[in-house]
Amino acid sequence: MSKDTYGIIATFDTSPEIYKAAKEVNKAGYSKFDVFTPFPVHGIEKVMGEKRSTLGSFTMIGGLAGFFTGMAIVAYMNFDYPLIVGGKVIFGPIFPFPIFYELTILLAAFGTLGGMFVLNNLPKHHHPVFEYENFGASSDDKFMIVIESEDPKFDESDTSSFLEKLGGYDVTAIPHKSETK
Amino acid sequence: MSKESNQSSDVTMSAIENPKNISLIALIVGVVGLAIAGAGLVFGLFEGDSRPWFSWLIGVAFWMSILIGSLLLIMITYAFDAGWSVIIRRQLEHMVSAFPWMALIFLPLILQPWISSQPGILWKWMNPDTLLHNGHTVGHDPIYLWKEVYLNLPWMTIRTVAYFGIFIGVSMLLRKYSFTLESDGNTRWVNRARRTSAFGIFGVGLGLTFAAFDWFMSLDYHWFSTMFGVWYFASSVRATIAFTIILCYFLSTRGYLKGIYNQAHRYDLGTLLLAFTVFWAYICFSQMFLIYQANIPEETFWYNLRLYTQEGGNSLWWWIAMSLVFLHFFVPFFFLVFYSTKVSVGRLVFIASWILSFHLLDLYFNILPGEIMTTDGHFIIRSFSVTLFDICSILGIGGIVIWSFLRSSKKVKPIPIKDPRILESIHHHE
Repeated sequence: MSKDTYGIIATFDTSPEIYKAAKEVNKAGYSKFDVFTPFPVHGIEKVMGEKRSTLGSFTMIGGLAGFFTGMAIVAYMNFDYPLIVGGKVIFGPIFPFPIFYELTILLAAFGTLGGMFVLNNLPKHHHPVFEYENFGASSDDKFMIVIESEDPKFDESDTSSFLEKLGGYDVTAIPHKSETK
Repeated sequence: MSKESNQSSDVTMSAIENPKNISLIALIVGVVGLAIAGAGLVFGLFEGDSRPWFSWLIGVAFWMSILIGSLLLIMITYAFDAGWSVIIRRQLEHMVSAFPWMALIFLPLILQPWISSQPGILWKWMNPDTLLHNGHTVGHDPIYLWKEVYLNLPWMTIRTVAYFGIFIGVSMLLRKYSFTLESDGNTRWVNRARRTSAFGIFGVGLGLTFAAFDWFMSLDYHWFSTMFGVWYFASSVRATIAFTIILCYFLSTRGYLKGIYNQAHRYDLGTLLLAFTVFWAYICFSQMFLIYQANIPEETFWYNLRLYTQEGGNSLWWWIAMSLVFLHFFVPFFFLVFYSTKVSVGRLVFIASWILSFHLLDLYFNILPGEIMTTDGHFIIRSFSVTLFDICSILGIGGIVIWSFLRSSKKVKPIPIKDPRILESIHHHE
């Protein structure tokens, strides 16, 4: 059953309601769920139990890779074809430093951009919640919460009644793939 | 009696507990410290020893950097119409109240060449009879003769007056706008403050750049670096952010910012501290890098003086330079780069204190080394030392600044409640 259901969606009318609902869903032990709101609701990521993004580590890895790549480039070229320029040493920490740090910045930026794509599962041209015909309202005046079927606690009837108990209405199961396609 | 509240919405208007005591202690520390350091100035004059005068200059440089940085942060946040910083801006407005006192503290340095028989005790170019390493006296030094049109005492005095005029004028205007807004609630004061800031950034930026040239770079007037002013700017703002973090820590744990200054403010200050850590390193490295790369003796001697002994070995200053690279840049950088550092109170206050200490060492490195003549006519490089007069002048001027801060903080409400962006600042979140 859960194979053809992506998840269960419920609609709420106000941001305090969705805030409380997100808190309750997280408290009930669900981990794979998401909230859709027409505008940013501050602090909701905390009550949803979202951890801090690991994007920073991608930046760090990119930056360190850039630093050592720069070092390797200069070292390889200067030792492979030794040429004294301006009385400077063949390889040192000062004269080629711009190359080290420019590459640090460049690859750190690439790491951040690439990491963002990886963490967001991009590129993604379609999302199962689009199958829900009223989903457009979540970018207008409605607040929605989706509990995914992949969640270990997921049970179609239990989860539905749980969402209803929280005050959600239009509780609907979203199919994984549209059969009409 | 007074209701202690940790709710951010409940803005209790109580002043710091026992404000009298703290400001009295600060004033006593200030007066005693300045008295001892001032005795050092007199002693230095009689003995012909310039070291106590450097103590005074280092104290001035340290606290001026924090005051100038405060003024710049006020103006920058105004210029960007920043909302988060409104409650912090009020504390900086109290800081800049110390500018007139700093002018008074600076007075002996600029007055001494006018009234004393040995004018060049601090800035050696002020005395044409000072003997230089190249065998010339300053009066016959071709380099000085070229620079004389800029480096002469009357013009230097006028400039110094102008710098303090700019700093005091802009800070008084901004304080007046902000404090008047408090009483009449008319938002046109905010617009005026923003307009003043837009022009003030140029004025203060130019002022601090030339002040750094005149007060610190001209100590070794053969040397020149256009980056020196930017170095002082970067150091100033960096030191100010570090100082603000420590100040707000005390104000939020045992002062009037309890429950108002929150994690998001701390995080943003930490982020700015990281940014200016990188900027400081960028400027310092660029200055060193260009001089190293060009390899022209007119410029390189300044670093040679600082890094090597006359025999060519590494001097004590070399170790200080290395500690600046590794302990003033790499350690704070890798420490601050982590999110957890910026939101943890203890770690952030620790690294802010760390940065302030090394900022002082950085000032020593830039101001103190220079050639001095021994009694037997040899030239040696002034070595690194921390004297009693250093400590007295730094603590003394600090006492005066803190006293001025507390004195000003009693005049208005702890946070600008009539500011249009005050709610944004109180409810600031990451």
